[in-house]
Amino acid sequence: MTPEEKYDLFDRYCTQQLTINDQKRLDRLVKEDTAFAKEFRLYQDLHLHIEVSSTSEKEQKALENNLKHIGDNFFSKRKEEVKQSHKDITKQPKVIRIPRWTYAIAASVAIIIGVYFLTPSDPVYKDFVDIPELSLTERSGGEVYIKKAEEAFNERKYDVAADNLFALLQKDINNSEYQFYYGISLLELNRYPEAKSVFQKLYQGDSLFKYKALWFEALAELKQKKYSRCRILLKKLPKTAEDYQNAQKLLDKL
Amino acid sequence: MSNSKLHSDQKYIEALLKNDTRLLVEIYEKFVPKVVGYIKKNNGDESKAQDIVQETLMTIYKQAKENRLQLSCPFDAYFFLLCKRKWLNELKKLSGKEVTINEEVVSIDDESVRFADETEIFNAKHELFTEMFNLLGNACKELLKMTFTIKSMEEVALKLGKSYGYVRKKKSLCIGQLTKLVQNAPKYNQIQDLL
Repeated sequence: MTPEEKYDLFDRYCTQQLTINDQKRLDRLVKEDTAFAKEFRLYQDLHLHIEVSSTSEKEQKALENNLKHIGDNFFSKRKEEVKQSHKDITKQPKVIRIPRWTYAIAASVAIIIGVYFLTPSDPVYKDFVDIPELSLTERSGGEVYIKKAEEAFNERKYDVAADNLFALLQKDINNSEYQFYYGISLLELNRYPEAKSVFQKLYQGDSLFKYKALWFEALAELKQKKYSRCRILLKKLPKTAEDYQNAQKLLDKL
Repeated sequence: MSNSKLHSDQKYIEALLKNDTRLLVEIYEKFVPKVVGYIKKNNGDESKAQDIVQETLMTIYKQAKENRLQLSCPFDAYFFLLCKRKWLNELKKLSGKEVTINEEVVSIDDESVRFADETEIFNAKHELFTEMFNLLGNACKELLKMTFTIKSMEEVALKLGKSYGYVRKKKSLCIGQLTKLVQNAPKYNQIQDLL
């Protein structure tokens, strides 16, 4: 048998195009010739290897990206926990006996603080942010991520909400509602660059969340005390936008 | 891979195949802390651990995709063992010599060791196949990729401006050439010895 005939036989086996006679011939050769049998097995392995590598390239890339995202989240959460536990350790309670004369100083400090807060100061994020409730369940059926995302978001557990909304986006990448609440979760987690890119994408689109996203992008800048950027974004809000009045109030303070 | 009863942790293998975020997050939460602890105790850090975990999960996915991995042992021990071995290889590469490591007692049953061995052999073969495939001429590589992505040989023939008979023959000869390249690679015999 020439190499051409041999590989043709192997290939027709792999693509299920053998005749009954060819099959008998192949079975006989595999039984009688160990080297032939080994080469046949390797040919099948390689055939499968090339097939899977060529057809699942996109799927593999998607999994790689998803694992990277999950890994990044998981490891950054761990870092936060370690930082927190260090803080807790250093925060040892101390009992201090306070001399009487310090009461007088404390009273003066209280007056100074009072005066400070009564004078106008820079506006802050928490005075302007009003996070809407997330309600997806009734509209979208009983999917487990939806329930978890909704519960976590409304309980202000934004890390869990972000994970579940991200999972939902994997299945429905263009869903503007998922995108919007994912953006808010990221903003609440201080993941500014990611939040910003979510809000920008929504603003560039034509969904119901177009101007809500712009308002939240402005709030993201406010939260970072980037007042001039915040101002530029606020000025883009049209009069018809739901948050137009809030934007004007904020602009007055900036 | 095995005739034993399928373990309920097969769900994690399916999660990799389906890119199911919920279960993938669960893998990180349930199984990764132990791996991180081990790597940190043995000259590594969190960022190295993240790479090892990601590479190991991708290896498991590739094996599941090609060989239908059917787990009959807990995912925990199997996954830990794979990460641990990968990390040891990494340390060897970095130091260029055998490494002394801080061994800890982890209960690992024979079945998990067997599965981890098979995955490691699969991975070594997979890497060798990819390496040898890249040694093929461009004409072979292109033709093979086309025949597997387009499926219809007639269409491939049309695209290449060749006859159907030529494309069929060329395909089998290219894989034949690859078979020879793999058989002649010293690494292949080492892998065969492990089987």
